Amino acid sequence: MSGLLRFIPVVVLVLAACAPQATPPGPSGTAASKVGGSVTFVATTDPDTLDLHQTSNPVSSTIFGWIYEPLVYQDLDNSYKGLLSESWAVSPDSKTITFKLRSGITFTDGTPFNADAVKFTFERLQRVGAKSPIFETFKNVASMEAKDATTFVMNMKEPYAPIFHDLQTAYAGILSPTAVKAANDNIGRAAVGTGPYKLKDFQTGQQITLERNSDYKWAPALFANRGAPYIEELRYRVIAEPATQLAALDAGEADALGLRAQDIAKYASDARFKVFDSFTFGLTYLGFDAKRPPFDNPKLRAALAKAVNKDEIVQVVFESKLAKAQCCPIAESIQGYDPKLKDFEQKYDPAKAKTELDGLGYKPGADGMRTSPDGKPWRPVLYTTTSDTHGKISTLLQAQFKTVGVDLQIKQLESGALLAATPKAEHDLYLNGYSWNEPDMFSLFLSCDRITSSNRVLYCNQQLEDLIRKGRTELDQAKRMQIYFDAQKLVMQESPWQPLYMPVSKTAVNVKIQDLRQGQAGGLYWHDAWVKR
Amino acid sequence: MGRYVLRRLLLAIPVLLGVSLAVFLMAAAVPGDPATVLAGDTASAAQVERIRHDLGLDQPLPIQYLRFLERLAHGSLGESTRTHREVLLEIADRFPYTLALTVGAVTLSTLLGLTLGTFAALQRGRAGDYLTMGFAIAGLSIPTFLIAIVGIIVFSLQLRWLPVSGAFSPASYILPTVTLSLHSAAVKARITRSSMLEVFGQDYLRTARAKGLRERVVIVRHALKNALIPISTIVGIQFGALLGGAFIIENIFGWPGIGRLATQAIFNRDFPVVQGTVLVGAVTFALANLAVDLLYAWLDPRIRYS
Repeated sequence: MSGLLRFIPVVVLVLAACAPQATPPGPSGTAASKVGGSVTFVATTDPDTLDLHQTSNPVSSTIFGWIYEPLVYQDLDNSYKGLLSESWAVSPDSKTITFKLRSGITFTDGTPFNADAVKFTFERLQRVGAKSPIFETFKNVASMEAKDATTFVMNMKEPYAPIFHDLQTAYAGILSPTAVKAANDNIGRAAVGTGPYKLKDFQTGQQITLERNSDYKWAPALFANRGAPYIEELRYRVIAEPATQLAALDAGEADALGLRAQDIAKYASDARFKVFDSFTFGLTYLGFDAKRPPFDNPKLRAALAKAVNKDEIVQVVFESKLAKAQCCPIAESIQGYDPKLKDFEQKYDPAKAKTELDGLGYKPGADGMRTSPDGKPWRPVLYTTTSDTHGKISTLLQAQFKTVGVDLQIKQLESGALLAATPKAEHDLYLNGYSWNEPDMFSLFLSCDRITSSNRVLYCNQQLEDLIRKGRTELDQAKRMQIYFDAQKLVMQESPWQPLYMPVSKTAVNVKIQDLRQGQAGGLYWHDAWVKR
Repeated sequence: MGRYVLRRLLLAIPVLLGVSLAVFLMAAAVPGDPATVLAGDTASAAQVERIRHDLGLDQPLPIQYLRFLERLAHGSLGESTRTHREVLLEIADRFPYTLALTVGAVTLSTLLGLTLGTFAALQRGRAGDYLTMGFAIAGLSIPTFLIAIVGIIVFSLQLRWLPVSGAFSPASYILPTVTLSLHSAAVKARITRSSMLEVFGQDYLRTARAKGLRERVVIVRHALKNALIPISTIVGIQFGALLGGAFIIENIFGWPGIGRLATQAIFNRDFPVVQGTVLVGAVTFALANLAVDLLYAWLDPRIRYS
């Protein structure tokens, strides 16, 4: 799955401590005695830039998520709450949002946070942010106004329900205008925000070091620690090779690392580590090229979808540890999931798959493999990435399809080549995933106007288009969720995707880190954590 | 000599231009364009198009190449499409680490190769010879990445003597340098052995011994110096191989050199950086070979460049 970390809400990674209903646990020591120490994370690739408007790189966004803060954050019940904003009001026509900003907040360069800074940031995003995942959102923003120091107004061309989702991402963090101007707009290595950490050192290709913002005192009330974080330094050490990452963890050069399925048992039984797990906001699916024959036929797609044994994939590839089988296009960690949709799932039923394929004219030949209705050999091609995981799943799918007489071919492409190949409809089937914590993911991955870009299965259905449009503009939450229920039902019946699984992340963390808690969805909660020395 | 060096340097220019053109054409032929990769998997077609335009990728290929040459003439390798920094700055940050690794490995492998090869030649047909050549065969046949992983397990995890990754301290240099040098040391040991055995049968050695020179002087000053000419050729060629090998080593050891920069640039379709790293690699290789050619003249006074 590409961009797995991209939309982990910034606050969940940086600040969140517990469910909003729960009372935060009390500190297990005095605050002053907890301050100090360092934690080293592993960055699997070099972060490209800390200029949040010039990247869509998940490693970079994880790092600048500590430095910049957005106006809002998404709580664990998926509701939106103010972070740099205190409150907001939406106009009756749903086109204007007026934010009341928090006062008394300063950037780490000492300048005050205010409405001018917000306006400056979002106007810069509109100007230079083509690489940002939220660039398109701001094309819908007609104008912005800083009414006074604490009032910021955003006027949209049309109502846009996912706006709060986009505003809570790390990419919507607020910049210090003074720092941007001082750096001549080159803020790739001169990041200045209001966050709990500030950039200390950027050692190209080696390590990025963040230091505690000791002036930070605006952590939300749901945390035990309302002030600056306890951990003095956070380091991101760049190590690309998985074997070296594990060695660094074992040697104490790294303190936290996401685990592969085969490594979980070892670290779970090692007293030096504690393994935390959390769901991710994403889904891996098997897609069918819905534009090109023969997979433009929904009946054929539905027949093949029934040949997919998701539980076997989760069991064999992930040892039932790093994935959970999913019924529906919206994973269960994401708002819009509804268990009632299971009734519409194309459930694993190889006998039924065979009958339906027979009925469609795909009859088995002498070797047991099916031919197309005109009698020609039929070898649909599955395109996927070169990742080890996708390779294993593809092989398993190949075996599952073989049991219903379908000779599936696999073509693994490096991700850049795969992104280029899919709009050309070179593939029959497509295995990949999305990472997006908003039900509006339909507009990105299954809408007609994304057929030449992010809609990798080239599916276009006017009924779904109408639902997508309604879902984007409907601000009533109950009505909106019903729209996405209908959209999912339609997609499950039409089967451009067969949803497979939701990834689960397991992270081994050195036990020297205390009061670190496990999240329900999306990550670990560090703001109350401290290092035992 | 000065004119020879100047001529060699001037001759390197068309070679480097050829290299840059070849890399440019290969980059253009690779499926997947930089704009799509940069925009990510959620971008719209319009977003991709805008990035393509911003990067000048909507221009015809010859124009793009001419622009690259124009920038080159002004001393610039362009801007990284990924980090938005000058490619020269990106390389300047990384190249010292690769150079240190490569020079360290060349030095170590040469010392090791010469010592072991000479020892094997002197021990010809005896246990020392077989042992040394056994080491050489092992060094040639065991993949570098395996040596690296075993090195990490033994020296970083078991003995806790050396760090696993990065270039944070002098101790960080030991594992990557030794790992990188082993294969090359094995090659040099084998060449040294055969070269020394060939020299051992020469009349001038018999003469040196007849003059009553000590055996050490005979071996070092007369035998080894003459055997060094073919070895120095190998050192030059191996320098390029070590530069290439550094790509793998840098990835395994989290080494911040241009090898890893280039690898990432290829995956990210950051073609200005790919061009820059290849050019820097080619220049380094050309200079190393020039240095080897100049070394010939020192080793063999009969060789004169004009």
